Amino acid sequence: MKISGSYTMQAPREAIWDKLIDPDAIAGCLPGVEQLEKVGENEYTMAMTVGVGPVRGTYSGKVSLANLNPPESYEMHIEGSGRPGFVKGTGMLRLAEGANGSTEITYEGDVEVGGPVGSVAQRMLGGVARRMVEQFFSCIEKQISGG
Amino acid sequence: MAVTKMFGASVKRREDPRMITGRANYTDDVRLPGTLSLVILRSPYAHARIKSINVEKARQMPGVVAVYTGKDLVDSLAPVPCAWLPPNSDLKVPEYRALAVDTVRYVGDGVAAVVAENRYQAQDAAAAIEVEYEMLPAVVDQEKATQDGAPQLYADVPNNTAFVWRLAGGDIDAALRDADVVVSQRLINHRLIPTAMEPRAAVAHYNPGSGELTLWCTSQNPHIHRLLMSAVTGIPETKIRVIATDVGGGFGSKIPFYAGEMIAVAISKDLGRPVKWVEDRRENFVATTHGRDHIDYVDVAAKQDGTITGIRVKAYANMGAYLSTAAPGVPTWLFGLMLSGPYKIPNISVEVHGVLTNTTPTDAYRGAGRPEATYVLERMMDLVADRLGMDPVEVRRKNFIPKEEFPYTVATTLQYDSGDYEAALNRALEIVGYEQFRKEQEAARAQGRLLGIGFSTYVEVCGLAPSQAAGAMGFQGGLWESATVRVHPSGKVSVFTGSNPHGQGEETTFAQLVADELGVPLDDVEIVHGDTGRIPFGMGTYGSRSTAVGGSALIYAARKVRDKGAKIAAHLLEVSPDDIVFDQGRYYVKGAPDRVKTFQEVAGAAYLAWNMPEGVTPGLEETHFFDPINNTYPFGTHVCVVEVDPATGKVQFLRYVAVDDVGNVINPMIVDGQVHGGIAQGLAQAVYETAVYDENGQLLSGSLMDYALPTASMVPTYEVDRTVTPTPVNPMGLKGAGETGTIASTPAVVNAIIDALKPYGITHLDMPLTPQRIWQAIQESQKGS
Repeated sequence: MKISGSYTMQAPREAIWDKLIDPDAIAGCLPGVEQLEKVGENEYTMAMTVGVGPVRGTYSGKVSLANLNPPESYEMHIEGSGRPGFVKGTGMLRLAEGANGSTEITYEGDVEVGGPVGSVAQRMLGGVARRMVEQFFSCIEKQISGG
Repeated sequence: MAVTKMFGASVKRREDPRMITGRANYTDDVRLPGTLSLVILRSPYAHARIKSINVEKARQMPGVVAVYTGKDLVDSLAPVPCAWLPPNSDLKVPEYRALAVDTVRYVGDGVAAVVAENRYQAQDAAAAIEVEYEMLPAVVDQEKATQDGAPQLYADVPNNTAFVWRLAGGDIDAALRDADVVVSQRLINHRLIPTAMEPRAAVAHYNPGSGELTLWCTSQNPHIHRLLMSAVTGIPETKIRVIATDVGGGFGSKIPFYAGEMIAVAISKDLGRPVKWVEDRRENFVATTHGRDHIDYVDVAAKQDGTITGIRVKAYANMGAYLSTAAPGVPTWLFGLMLSGPYKIPNISVEVHGVLTNTTPTDAYRGAGRPEATYVLERMMDLVADRLGMDPVEVRRKNFIPKEEFPYTVATTLQYDSGDYEAALNRALEIVGYEQFRKEQEAARAQGRLLGIGFSTYVEVCGLAPSQAAGAMGFQGGLWESATVRVHPSGKVSVFTGSNPHGQGEETTFAQLVADELGVPLDDVEIVHGDTGRIPFGMGTYGSRSTAVGGSALIYAARKVRDKGAKIAAHLLEVSPDDIVFDQGRYYVKGAPDRVKTFQEVAGAAYLAWNMPEGVTPGLEETHFFDPINNTYPFGTHVCVVEVDPATGKVQFLRYVAVDDVGNVINPMIVDGQVHGGIAQGLAQAVYETAVYDENGQLLSGSLMDYALPTASMVPTYEVDRTVTPTPVNPMGLKGAGETGTIASTPAVVNAIIDALKPYGITHLDMPLTPQRIWQAIQESQKGS
């Protein structure tokens, strides 16, 4: 399944970049994150509870960042599984300077899902993912403006 | 005692009260003390290597008694067998283990099994099993799977091709060369999920003391399952009793012999305790066989006047990840043999590639092969008519086998028993008011409204038999049927049939037959089926064969009983058996109807045996095994009338007319019900149901929220009628009515919708014809103009 979108943030690119590679900021802003631990350079283990339609449960797995090109782009690899099934995907995040000091974030990813979440809830997955991304960026934005 | 004739009477189904009041005894209703719950952990990946399985955590969980992996069962269970092996097809049967040993090949492949004191514990423990997979590339499309470079499921099955099967009659190359027109089309007959109301289930009870296994399961053919269970477990057939009396629908999906039941048996034997396994609905979607999934390349040779001179089909059949029990026979024999349909087509050639992919295995699904053949022919008839500017009805009529020519042997070598195709067509045209409709259609088109009419003039092969033909086709079994008629001393009758009705109503129709033969009240006849501990060896219920074959067996057994009774009555009445007349349950002396013994009196005398004629043994019980000389060939015409909304693509069903000829009819109400249900399933394929996999092999339509099984509000009212052309191949002159509706309806609906879309120049769309697909086709057609 392909996921893509964009978000405009009223914050400088560098500030956003710092947040987007900060495990504490990610853990604090991504809905449902229960645990996020750094296990290596740009490598994290993560546990996260997500509900997609009727399928709700905890996924645990790995997140790694690659091809870091501060403050412009990085690649993200995720791999997680749990009772609701499994998720495996690759995404690309790009930060571009926008008008009036804003930053335009664009993301695109290809995610493979399986198990109950794949067969029962896949129709709803796109919408849920988009909502979670929105929540995540708006939380990051608040963190930057508040702190 | 006056007994009215039961044959032809719309008797209400005797099995219904227990089923609709929750008193039926389905497998999940079997509750034995000490039963363990079995849950099978299934692969979430379509293709992966199992690197490791850690069951330790699961073993420690509350209530868990044992956990098994594939390796643990290799010694106790032989591979899941395939039992239809078409000869001369270079068939390769890959090893199919009950639980995968090192590689999983579809989403739903079994990986581990947990037994616990209750289902919740077993389910929780299954979730705690840690399996480390190494993902492998997957392939789900059968055409792509045959191409070089495609992911390979098995090292010893090159290009994933399990078999290539060919059948030819006449000279297709000459026919195509000499044709006035050749009409070609690629047709997709997409994958369906049978979705019986009762999912599969098993209760296995191995008694270590006696060495006997009792297995309650959801089977259309319990003796076949007993034989195969004996073969895979080594438990002698004589020590296995399979009970599948109340089964909540099968549609073919409960013919195969499956891993789940095998695992339940192996574990019960290992632990010496009863084990119950019941699929949940999601599991049913992946672990029970799917149906259809053909891609057909079709070329039809025709003359300018509409005469069809030949048909060539190259088919790619998606077999799924393993070859299920009867699977290789479905897209080959049951499809290829029927490619002449009701038409005289002198030159036929078919080549079928059976392809393995990372999907749930496919097997028989209501109609099994014949819907695929009928869809090919009936779609092509419309395309030929369109090309030649002819009325689709006239193209069909022109090519019908005339009624005078039966029995008729088609180019694929089948001999059709009897038929009057034109009579059924004429009746359907009359009911639907064809000429009037074409005028209305024209008027509607002038107003921008899209009306369409679609025809399906079909013939199918059912009453599947005879055994010799089964052998020639590589079916690893006979196609006869058995019956025992046991008359008790009171004159009540038990009938033990090898057929296993699971929704078809034979507890009623078989009783009607016996009531007539023995002249006893319907209520005095009990039909016993589905329990190998009680019935003679039988072949089971599929291919609309139970009444034609099983019904015949019991007619002959009942006649043996009646004849023995005549000898006893003659002896008691002190006349020669030749002077005895039997009528409506009474044996009387010819010309002296007051000198009489009732059937019940004779039954009593047979068991007292105080005064038997010489050479006649006590008791009144007879068995008959019936192997017919041929299959039966029901036929008919289905007509669908639709209106398509050009703004939304939505299809509204205006009328649905079905004129079927199933020969003589025992119970018109039951046949109507079979036709209604059959049409609903076939129509659903045309416009609603489809099994969808993503390219990684994930089943996206894996629940009843995503798989559009129709509800009553989604199907039209059916106008059902019949013509009657009896068959000579069985004593009742009846054919079979279980699958006609499904076989006929799919192309009738598609043809109607395409006819409605004619103003847009649309000549073909692949199913299911959802509003989205129709709307898109309309938009695209307008882009061009």
